[in-house]
Amino acid sequence: MAEEAMFDFIHMEAVSYVFQGGEKISEHTTVPRIKHVKPKDEAISKLEHMGFATGYRLVERLTRESGRYKDELDIMKYICKDLWVTVYKKQIDNLRTNHQGVYVLHDNRFRFLSHMAAGKQYLQYAPRYLAFTCGLVRGCLANLGVTCVVTAEVTQLPACKFQIQVQRG
Amino acid sequence: MTIYNLYLFDRDGQLLHYAEWTRNKQSGMTREEEAKLMYGMIFSIKSFVTKVSPIDLREGYLTYTTNKYRLNLYETPSRFKFILNTDVHAQGIKELLHQIYTQVYVEYVVCNPLCQLNKPIESELFAAKLDEVVKQSPAYASRPA
Repeated sequence: MAEEAMFDFIHMEAVSYVFQGGEKISEHTTVPRIKHVKPKDEAISKLEHMGFATGYRLVERLTRESGRYKDELDIMKYICKDLWVTVYKKQIDNLRTNHQGVYVLHDNRFRFLSHMAAGKQYLQYAPRYLAFTCGLVRGCLANLGVTCVVTAEVTQLPACKFQIQVQRG
Repeated sequence: MTIYNLYLFDRDGQLLHYAEWTRNKQSGMTREEEAKLMYGMIFSIKSFVTKVSPIDLREGYLTYTTNKYRLNLYETPSRFKFILNTDVHAQGIKELLHQIYTQVYVEYVVCNPLCQLNKPIESELFAAKLDEVVKQSPAYASRPA
């Protein structure tokens, strides 16, 4: 319990740090900012990058015992089962694919959202708690040889879905 | 047996949450005023009890009973105060309050990044879980018709 709480709290702080930094800059400095980059997007991408770097290293450490995966689907199954259990202490509830490089991972009780609300309350704040995980998944896949874009979507807390779009070529 | 209502105060005496299940008589003042009086009384009782106590007191649990109801105070190591009013026969209230603290407050307020720790609790999930835990307790279940 305690070590899980540690990860939860440090993630909470990372999110609030990144977002506060963005707000403070826009409020108090007179340095002109690049107009088309909003502080919010900047914070999200910062978190995503943190996740990416973490995932990239993490997957190296976690898969050191296992053999190679035979195809993309096998890798996705690894993400849904082993990775999710290691990081979030539960499996992904549902994995869907169109067999053309799009995978959708449903988590009906996502760890970072499960203590926040059950329903629509705080819905507008939910995306910032998913950015790190999107990066984490992208980083893992990148190190396993799959280049992709990962996005997340929430319509009702604490359920959310991650969409993985594999880029080919 | 019945559970009447619950107050949750932080270490500075701010009312963080108030919940009510059965309350037949209202105090006739605003909630803020009532909370202030409640906290003031608890504060006084605590210091009085500690001063006149013939033995060393350490426990963070205190109750007083009138003819009609019992007030239960549970204080956490972080000095949060949970005050629960029940009828005089209610059993296992200390355990219930401990459960409310560890399984509801810690889980859904402390572990919720969107709840500020020194502000009244706005989370709907917290209120829902609190209601659930109280209604599941035997002290609530076996209430008279």
